[in-house]
Amino acid sequence: MTLKQDGVGLSRRDFLITSTAVAGGFVLGITRHADAAIPQPMSAMPQEAGNALRTGAVALTDWVRITRDDVVTLVVSQAEMGQGISTTLPAILADELGADWSRVRLELAPTAAAYQNPRIRWQFTGNSESSQAFFDHLRHVGAAARTMLVSAAASKLGAPVAELSAEGGRVIHKASGRSLSFGELAEDASRLPVAERPSLRPDVELQLIGRSLPRVDQVAKANGTALFGIDYIPPGLSGVLFAAVRTAPSYGGKARAVKNLGEVKSMRGVVDVIILATSVAVVAPKYWQAKAALAVADIDFEAGPDTKLDSASIRKHYLDKMANGPVKVARDVKPESTQAAASGFEATYELGFQAHATLEPMNALAHVTAEGVDVWAPTQGQDLARYTLAAVLQRKPEDVRVSRSPFLGGGFGRRLLPDFIVDAAQLSRAVGKPVKVIWSREEDMRRDYFRPATLHRLQAQIDAKGQVIGVTQRLVSPTILKPVFPPLDLSNGIDPSALEGTLHTRYRVPAWRTEFHLLETPVPTSVYRTTGFGPTIFGLESFIDELAHRAKVDPLDYRRRLLAQDARALRVLAEIEKRSGWSRKLPGAGHGRGRGVAFTDAFGTVLAQVVEVTVTGSKVKVDRIVTVADPGRILDPKIVDAGLEGGAIWALSSVVKGEITFDRGGPVQTNFHEYDLLRLREAPKFETYLLESTGSAMGGIGEVGPVATVPALANALFAATGKRLRTFPLARSGLALA
Amino acid sequence: MKVELKVNGAPRSVDVEADTPLLWVLREELGLTGTKFGCGIAQCGACTVHLNGTALRSCVMPASAAAGTDITTIEGLAATPQARLQSAWIAEQVSQCGYCQSGMLMAAAALLKAMPKPSDKDIDDAITNLCRCGTYPRVKRAIKRAAGLLPSSTSS
Repeated sequence: MTLKQDGVGLSRRDFLITSTAVAGGFVLGITRHADAAIPQPMSAMPQEAGNALRTGAVALTDWVRITRDDVVTLVVSQAEMGQGISTTLPAILADELGADWSRVRLELAPTAAAYQNPRIRWQFTGNSESSQAFFDHLRHVGAAARTMLVSAAASKLGAPVAELSAEGGRVIHKASGRSLSFGELAEDASRLPVAERPSLRPDVELQLIGRSLPRVDQVAKANGTALFGIDYIPPGLSGVLFAAVRTAPSYGGKARAVKNLGEVKSMRGVVDVIILATSVAVVAPKYWQAKAALAVADIDFEAGPDTKLDSASIRKHYLDKMANGPVKVARDVKPESTQAAASGFEATYELGFQAHATLEPMNALAHVTAEGVDVWAPTQGQDLARYTLAAVLQRKPEDVRVSRSPFLGGGFGRRLLPDFIVDAAQLSRAVGKPVKVIWSREEDMRRDYFRPATLHRLQAQIDAKGQVIGVTQRLVSPTILKPVFPPLDLSNGIDPSALEGTLHTRYRVPAWRTEFHLLETPVPTSVYRTTGFGPTIFGLESFIDELAHRAKVDPLDYRRRLLAQDARALRVLAEIEKRSGWSRKLPGAGHGRGRGVAFTDAFGTVLAQVVEVTVTGSKVKVDRIVTVADPGRILDPKIVDAGLEGGAIWALSSVVKGEITFDRGGPVQTNFHEYDLLRLREAPKFETYLLESTGSAMGGIGEVGPVATVPALANALFAATGKRLRTFPLARSGLALA
Repeated sequence: MKVELKVNGAPRSVDVEADTPLLWVLREELGLTGTKFGCGIAQCGACTVHLNGTALRSCVMPASAAAGTDITTIEGLAATPQARLQSAWIAEQVSQCGYCQSGMLMAAAALLKAMPKPSDKDIDDAITNLCRCGTYPRVKRAIKRAAGLLPSSTSS
């Protein structure tokens, strides 16, 4: 499909082909997909979409284009879903380049090899690794473009490269006071070979990296102009129809027929009623028309194969596998000389199923034609969507173009999956028009791939002096990784995502054994912010706390002993001790008030958190959360702070509110009246402190925030009441938020 | 049926079924997509708009019932005395994914209209919108900033 944007689509493609010829290999790989790239500035200037191209941009690399009027366009490869990545990554490029940040325009990446995660050659946003994976890459890309501009300036000014610097969008020759703007240099620079090993700026020259920048997405999100998937229709695409869809209530169920088809078809606006394998969709020119017509549809659903599936049977299945296995040994570390344990301790921890419940329900726009498949969707998983659509529609992957909407209304892992995009493509194919499907909240919640329930047993072997000499743990969990990474081979019974947090520890425990049972269940499960770390660190950090109390040692001191000689971890613990006021007695401690600590190293970030609670009867109030995090290198402190704070609130929602339960073969909860999230009045006070560790690898931020919150809360509840909660949400223990 | 509305100060006429929720009239008939769909049952507040200055969840409000009222959406907030909330939101960098923030801002605007200097409890009681990213502490701070309740050293 060619978009009919006057002079934009074609001229861009022509230009790129030309510049590929003159500028070397750097722009290869983008030409075929250029038409599908809808230039969308992310921030304050949406009216100028495509402007850079109309005025004749020069591409220095796949990531950097410069116009003669000095506007620098940078490509945003990663999905902006709240984590601030559309500020952080372009700032890396701009900093290395020496661009004037205030004159930078941002453009969304199309589906193209150049924008794949450089670590695994796969285009997606997730696993807390956007900054980690792209940092070095974007610095090199920015430095390469700068090197080309400086070389061009050296020729024009007749000055040696060593005397030139690039800053504020100009190449400057300080000795003579002369300078040239990037716009004046871009064309010459684009004819130079791309610098293969450009030298990076020394840290002292960096102006943007490491500083809190005004986020580029804030203005549009405060005035209603930010375009999310549900809002977005690309310029030039007309005749878009909308679809509402309802899926069989039980897993594996099928849609057989609409009993009152005539009535539904006669409803205002209805264009078609389509029966897909498991669902019925109504298509109309307006979404509300489709939704209203679907609401009156009397659908004959065939029940799935297991209508007896319910929460009790699922839990029984977990308990059976915990007790009887079989299990795979995922890790088994033994010291050279084994000591006999003088005593032992065992505890089992349990969490329920949780829904992602992104505030923007799943939606996607697809246009399937003889020429190809075009999709515009709020997606984290462009490559997975592309390959999935190719398989489902029996098309070549290169004929499938998946473009991201400018913004995603939350992701949290849910939007890595392609199922909602498949809905749109199937419906577009059926009606022969572009179709935007919007899931109702009920559809979104019922068709979620949930954070799986987990059952996690830990056993400690303790010597005569009270030292832990070994930990043996057994985890029962369904898969997390398989749905978002279909090539994963589960035949060996190991799911690396589910096992996160159980295979390695910073604690010095001589013997460490992890057993795993990969539970088979009809309930769809997959990645949910924190992936495996959330559930397993809840178990481990609750267990450590229990061991500390049994040893009559302060829980923070107990961790310090297990982390002796780990300078990075000890610094985090010292900071949390100081910042939380740990050594000062909490007024009312043990009589309804308490504080708990938890520590983790997840997604490459070392973090400790203290939670303070007040318990009155069966009512729990979370008063305060203090966080200390060391992600190695910090790119934007305010964005990190917001991510950690939001992460802790995410964690609280998962344990102080509802859970997803099952009955008659399917999920029970359908909307926020049955599955509530933390509300503003329930949010605690926050203090967050950041540390950097020069020389440590950069850690991720997106998902570490929630990891320690649940065990710290459980440990605080124990400190407050003397009652140990080994299962969540709170309601399972007869407690509720105040 | 034909419904006459007044949206952000301008008269608008739409032809819809009488029970079409105001949310979908705003989004689909008038192209005002700043107001968001989140739940459809008045639980999450992403669809919050003002009717005669009062915050209301437009996903359960039939368009016909909104006829003759003054409707203000996020697109019209800048023209109201509560526009300072938007600068406060930007200064505090409240938004993460941002999907709930149109509704959050409209709820905050109705609060400040009714109570120019709200207490913590007033804010707690008035802002019942859901935010999945967990921006609540920053929402509170931005409301206080807009109300001039933050120390001047931090509100500049």
